[in-house]
Formats: sequence, C-alpha cells, structure tokens
Amino acid sequence: MLTPDDVPVAGGAAGRVEVRDLTWRPYGRREPVLRGIDLVVPAGQRLLLVGPSGSGKSTLLRALAGVLEVADSGELSGSVLLDGTEPGARAGAVGLVLQEPGAGVVSATIGRDVAFGLENTGVPRADMPDRVASALAAVHLTMPQDTPTHALSGGEQQRLALAGALALEPGLLLLDEPTAMLDPVNAASVREVVDEVTRSRGLTTVVVEHRLGPWVDFADRLVVLDSAGRVVADGPPGRVLADEGEALAAQGIWVPGVADPDPIPVPPGTFGPGRLGAHVVALDAVDLRVERSVRRLDGSTRTSVAVDAQWLQVRAGESHALIGPSGAGKSTLVLALAGLVDRQGGQVRVHPELAVEGGRDPRDWSTKDVARTLAWVPQWASSTLVASTVLDEVMTTSRALGLVESEALARCRALLGVLGLGHLEQADPRHLSGGEQRRLAMVSAVAHQPAVLLADEATVGQDRRTWAAVVGILEALRDADSAVVVTTHDDGVVDRADRVTTVSRPAQPPSPPTPRRPLVARAGPLALLAGSLLAIPAGVVSPHWRTSLAVLATQLVLMGLALAAPGRGPRPRGRAAGVAVRMVPGLVGAVSVAWSTWLLGTRDLDVVATAGLRVLVIVLPSAVLIRYVDADALGDHLAQQLRLPARPVVALAAALQRVHTFGDTWAEIARARRVRGIAATARSPRSVLDEVWALTLGMLVRSLQAAAVLAVAMDARGFATASRRTWAHAAPWGLADSLVLVLSLAPVAVALLAV
Amino acid sequence: MSTTNTPAGSPGTSTTSTATTSTPDASTGSTGTGTTTPARRGSIRASGSLFGWRTVDLLTVAFLGAAFGIAYWGWGLAYGGPADLLGKAFPPLQGITAAPWLMAGVVGGLVIRRPGAALLCEVIAALVSMLPGTQWGASTLVSGILQGAGAEIAFLLLGYGAFGLGAAALAGALSAPLEAVYEWQVYWTDWGMDYKLLYGAILTVSGAVIAGGLGWLLTRALAKAGALGAFPVGQEVRETRAV
Repeated sequence: MLTPDDVPVAGGAAGRVEVRDLTWRPYGRREPVLRGIDLVVPAGQRLLLVGPSGSGKSTLLRALAGVLEVADSGELSGSVLLDGTEPGARAGAVGLVLQEPGAGVVSATIGRDVAFGLENTGVPRADMPDRVASALAAVHLTMPQDTPTHALSGGEQQRLALAGALALEPGLLLLDEPTAMLDPVNAASVREVVDEVTRSRGLTTVVVEHRLGPWVDFADRLVVLDSAGRVVADGPPGRVLADEGEALAAQGIWVPGVADPDPIPVPPGTFGPGRLGAHVVALDAVDLRVERSVRRLDGSTRTSVAVDAQWLQVRAGESHALIGPSGAGKSTLVLALAGLVDRQGGQVRVHPELAVEGGRDPRDWSTKDVARTLAWVPQWASSTLVASTVLDEVMTTSRALGLVESEALARCRALLGVLGLGHLEQADPRHLSGGEQRRLAMVSAVAHQPAVLLADEATVGQDRRTWAAVVGILEALRDADSAVVVTTHDDGVVDRADRVTTVSRPAQPPSPPTPRRPLVARAGPLALLAGSLLAIPAGVVSPHWRTSLAVLATQLVLMGLALAAPGRGPRPRGRAAGVAVRMVPGLVGAVSVAWSTWLLGTRDLDVVATAGLRVLVIVLPSAVLIRYVDADALGDHLAQQLRLPARPVVALAAALQRVHTFGDTWAEIARARRVRGIAATARSPRSVLDEVWALTLGMLVRSLQAAAVLAVAMDARGFATASRRTWAHAAPWGLADSLVLVLSLAPVAVALLAV
Repeated sequence: MSTTNTPAGSPGTSTTSTATTSTPDASTGSTGTGTTTPARRGSIRASGSLFGWRTVDLLTVAFLGAAFGIAYWGWGLAYGGPADLLGKAFPPLQGITAAPWLMAGVVGGLVIRRPGAALLCEVIAALVSMLPGTQWGASTLVSGILQGAGAEIAFLLLGYGAFGLGAAALAGALSAPLEAVYEWQVYWTDWGMDYKLLYGAILTVSGAVIAGGLGWLLTRALAKAGALGAFPVGQEVRETRAV
C-alpha cells in the first residue's frame, strides 16, 4: 500500500479515496489492464497520474468514478472506496471530465447542460438557476445560458463539462487528459480554471496526462503506472522526477526538461526515389475558400466559412507544419488540398508530372489516381479502418494500386516494425487502442510512398517512443522527396518542420438578427406530433378526390396561418421553401401511388386521383409541423405531460441532439475510402454495395462508440440512479398547443362531413 | 443457467464490492462453477435484472434507432424504383422492398436483450426517419410502433433468452403482420383480400430473411468492430478472439 506521508495535503473535509488490490481484465484482452492496484489518496490531495500509452490510466480513472462497467464488461476484483462508501453511493460525489471536448454534452444549451446533474439528483426546479449560474461562473463561462453547446470552442466545452460536475458539489474531481485535444491557448484556459476551482473548494483531484510539463506545478503528488498497469513510482512530483525522470522518459513518458527524442530511423531502402525532385512545388493551392454547412434535422442549415483566401505551396522533399488555434480550419484545408471536400473558390493544382491525363486537380481524379499520389491520415483513425487484420489494413492501398505484393509486404512489415505494431500483424485493427490505431493509419497512408502526405494531428496521444517512430516515418518519407503536410499543436513537430504556415480562423459573415418566429413555433412538441398524426384519419376517411381536394385546401389555409409570423423584427426566410423541400418525398410518393393504382388495372382517373391526393393529405401537416419539434422540449413534454419514464426519454433527447453528426461520419468514411483507392465506382455494382455496407456499418459503429462515452459521462452525473428526476424546464400545455390540436381536427371534420 | 453469473450489474454499484465480483463463465458458457449448463448455446442474457436498463442500454438503443432512422429515410428515397418494378410484375411483391424497414427492432432486441428494446429501437428509428420529411408523414410513427411491437413479441415468446439467427428471423417475421394489416387500411385500400393476404405473407417472409438475417449479420459485424463491448453479443464475439 502506498500512502506517502511526506506528501502535503491541502485541507478538504471529504474526498478520501482508497483503492485496494484492484484488478480489471476487459473481455477480449488476455492480460489485465489494471493489476493489483493499491492506492490511497487523502482528502484534498491533487494527484497527477501518468504512464505510457496503454498503461490503464484512463481505466483507473473510470474505476475511481465507479463507471468502469458502464460501457465495458470484463472481470473485476478488489475495491474502490470514496470516504468509506462506493463511489456511486451519492450521485455526483465524483466529477469526471473526459478527454474529447463535447463528448459528454447532453443538451442543446449550456445552462440546460449544467442543470443535467441537478435534474438527476432531484434538486427542486426553483433551486437550479442559482446553482447553474454559480457553476458557470466558477469556470468563467460568461455567455448567456441559452448559448448553444455546439457554438463553444473545445476549451469552453471542457470548462462546461467541469461546470456540470461542479454543480453537484463533488468531493473528488477526475480529469482524463482534459487538454490533450486542445490548442495551447485553450489548454491553458482549462488548466487555470481547474487550478482555481480545486484550490478554492479543496477538492481531491486526479488528473491523467501523458504530458506532465504543464501540470507539475499543479500537483501535490505524482503516481506513475507502467505498461503492465502497475504502480512503479509515487511521491511529490519534484522528487519523483529527480529520482526517476530518466527512467520515466525511457518508458515513453513526456518528462519536463528532457529533450524530445530523436526520430527512429526507417530501415534504408524502405522508400525508393520520389517522383519529383526536391523543392519542386508538388501541390499548389490558390486562394482557397471552403464553406461548411451543417444540415440539421429540421431541414435548416448552418453555414460557416472554414477556409478563406488561403494560399499554400507544398514542396517535394520538405515538411510543412500547419499551425493555428482549434477551429481555424486546418483540417478542412488539408481536405481541400486532397480534393476531398467541395470548395467554393480558388484552385488546387498538382505538379504536371503528377497530373492524371492532363488533369491537375485531384478533385477530378478517380479513386485510384487519388490514392497513387495523395495520402491522408485522418484525426479519427478508428472510423476509417477497412480490413479485418492489421496486415490487410496496411496493404489495402498497395493492393488497390496493383503494386508488387512481395515488395509492398516488405515495406509494410518494415514500417509496422518501426511503429511497434509488428507483433499485431494478424490482430483485428478495430480492437487496438486509439494510439495504436493512429499509428496504423500512418502506415496505411505511407506504405505505397505517395508523392504528397497530408497528416491531420499525426502525433496526438503518442508517448515519447511512438512519437519518435511517427516523426521518423514522416521524415523518411520527406527524405524520399515526398511532400509532407502536418497539422499540429505539437511544438516538437513544428520545430522539426522545414516550413511553418499559420492558419487563422476566417472572418465569419455576421450572423443575421433573430427573425420573427412563426406562430406554429409557439406550440409544444406533443401538439405538433398530434397535429401530424391527425392527418392520417383525415386522409383515410376521404372517400373521393373531391373531398381530398377540399381537405387539402383546408390544410393549406391552416398552413398559411401556422407559418405566419406577426410582430417586429426581420421576416423569417424560407418557410414555404422548407415545406416544399420536405414535401418532395410526399409528392414522389403520391405520384408513385397513383401510378401503381393505375397499373393495378383500375384505369379510372377518379380512383387514381383519390389515391394520390390521399397521400398528400397525410403528408402535408407533418411537413409543416414536425420541423418545429425541439429535442430538449420533446424530452420535457414526454416525461412531464405524458408521464413516460424519465430515463428513456432523456436518452432519446440526447440522441436526437446528435443526429446531425451522423452525416459527418458518413462523409469522413467515404473520404477515407476514396483516398485509399477503394471507393465505389459506377462501373462496379459490387463496389457500390461494398461501400454502402461499409459506410452504414461505420456510421453505426461511431454512433455506438459515442453512446458508450456519453453513458460514462451521464452516469458520472448521476443518471444511472435518476428514477425520480426533476426537470429544469416546465412543460405546460399552452394555448398554442390547444389551438394546433383543434385546428388539426378541422381537416378531419371536412373529410367526415363528406362521408 | 450460466446467466446468473453474468457480470456487470447496474452501474455505480458493482465496481466496489470487496470480493471478486465477476466470474468469467458467463462469457464462455462452458466453464465456471460446474453446476451451470448453458440454456441455449451462444446466447448470453442481459446483465443484472432483465428490467434493469443501464444508461448504456438506453443510449445505445436511442443512438441505434436514430442511425437506423437516417438509413430508413435514405431507403425511403431509394426504394421507389425497385418497388415500382416489383409492383409492375405482381403488386404484393412490394412486401420485399418494405422489409428493410423492419430491421431496427430486430437489431435493437439482439443487442440490448431487454424487454422493450426492440419496440423502442424501431419507434425511435421511425420518429427520426419522419423528421426530414417522408412520403408517409406521421403514419411512419404508427408503422414504427406496430413493427416494433411485432419484433418485441418474438423476443417475449423466447423469454428474452435466445438471440441467435433463428430468433432474429422470428423477430423479423413477426414484425410484419401488424404492419401489414395497418397498411391494408391505409395504403392498399383498393386491393382484394387475396392480394392483401399475399402481401402479408411476402412481407413476413422477407422480414425473416432481410430484417432478420441481415439484422443478425449486422449485429455480429458491429460486435466484431468492437462497438458492443458493454453488451452480451460483444462478449460472445470478443472472448473468442482475445488479443
């Protein structure tokens, strides 16, 4: 048992953690990830937990939070106690902040998101505003509480997660690499806030990090795990680093003051001569402009400028670092260079030597031509895996291009060896750790020696040893006269780059003033759903097309009323156009029904028109009303009006909140397949089927992974035991709801009168 | 029954007992206390109480449903061509192109293995698919409830204890009858009873093959991809391929 008595402790009444003989083997692993961990953390201590990739740091953190088995299953033994009870005994006693910004967001607005834990623990609604406001103030989020969560930067999202935990007044705060995915400015803002709140509240704090430097001054104590999941060093940070610094660095831990490791050399002869001479411009980007649109479920789109007026020359035999804050558009720029996103302005041209049949814009090339010349390492390696063994994964592009199998195999094996993946050749790539998958993506991208490599945050999450290997491969490829482009926040990578380009966030068009709201927007989700459902009887009972026409006319009048937006302010745009777009499937359906009725042998225009119009009657109210259903409100109303069980309803609302991200996943997988030479081509129906299956499966996998992470975040805020929940927002049935309901009965009445 | 030893109770309560809390037998169905014999080879029940929905169960069913909803909407745009071709040949054959819409309930049930999972998954899929606008409007939601209820009945009949290919096929098949009867009233009002019955039969068989068979394959593929680590099906796959 490790209880160093020379470790200073800063006050704090509660928050003593006691771990005894904790061992955990997740199913699917032969060896335990945690092995006989004994650890006592006195109340108020600030502990920094470090270890090489795969040492089980995050796993131990989840065990401390009592959420180890929320999203995983395996064999567990030993105990974890917080102040003598189980960590889950009081909801919110343990606050948890996860690595990926936004991964734990449950609501559309920041105020509602902070209130989530309070709702779970049954805090009366009247007490919520004060507690939400003070939690937001503690993390210096000063914007209005109805600010959309998606509008926050990565650093702000991490501070929001912290506010959500603080609102429950935890005794123990756990932070899982809270700044790993942030740029330096955002990372510093998170560290400052963590330092401030843990000091002022005397919180016991455990921070997991793989880069110690910025956290050393913060911590009272440093605990080091080795790659087998055992505690190997423990004590005050200064002493541990003085005694063990060199040994820790050799294990791969980023120890402050120790110089960056030298890149690991790639075996000579792995790469042959390049296609261009050194310093020749391989890729020339001229005045690029890229707009990104997010299409939301209600049919509205948000458009932002991701890249604007960007010029860049990428030269063979040189490495280029693209730097700049998160959200500056670096990732989008990289996609635009490879012709993987539509651009709204400018040009991308490759060197004539690399051109395909005279075409110099990669956007116009076939998937194989793209793969031959360009390679892309995505930030999200996991969703772009295509094969079921590591070896097949890295051989994918070489095989698609028809390279000599034996030579390609030799190259792949050499590169896998450099990156420490050689022993995993036959493993399923989807079962590797995140860091391993990123390295695998690197090998997959470079094995066929592309003339241009575009790597998005290639070194994130790597320890010293794997970092040296990744940088070694980047430099070997550069030395073979490929052009290498890396987006990065990593000073070590920037220092070694031949050229550095700073990308700054383009000016955004001013957001228009909030337009007037249509009358229908005042109705709640249940009335809107009921109004849509009432269209079914209206359609079904219409006996003849003349009746249907009268019903449809009634509906159109009501639509005009519903979409009217009286009052002051700018006129809302696109109301009727939106309805028209949402009616397209309905119109197609009406024509199709009419056509099949005709084919059935009726050949009676009366019957055909009746069948077709009936479809329109059923569909039109949905096309008008459903757009105004809000996900958070739907949850509130289903639970408070219909008294449906709280937890499924909240889960539904959380899922609806994320639906618009599914399309991004789909697009990302499609890009990865195109750049690796295996995208569907119109000539091969088989390849189209393969692609549809791969994209669907990939979208499902990513959404399920998001669900698993969200489950951890939600349970850390007391959702597991939230059977008697309170609700931050009331869900009254209002006048607008009654009006929608009554008016939706009008078409039914018209239909019935004709019967 | 090996199922009584299944690890992973309700979250927040099981990680901290002072003795060994889990045993490996549930995952393999063959080792363990010696007195256990697996009731049905290859199917592990949901952990803890059958009605004890964990957070990850709820979120997974919601996210699965939402993802299926998007796919359903896409199929709604694409199915017209094939459906017209089949309809031209013999109208009740359109039951074949309707079968993919039965898949969410099957997959939800196979993954979560708790009462209500199949129904909830199919209903959420229907709800999400109607949000961007479909040719059936709110009628989609009614269909979702009826299809999901059918799949739910299949898993109920099996006592929430069997989740193999046969169970998947049964769930796919039973998703069809209630939906077919509803469609008679709303979409196929002009058909005679012979067409209506044939349509129901074709939808049932296609449901078993397309929704059941493909749904079973998809569930296995998701488990192999490591996306179902918290679920019985994930254990079944992972323990046989440990790394």
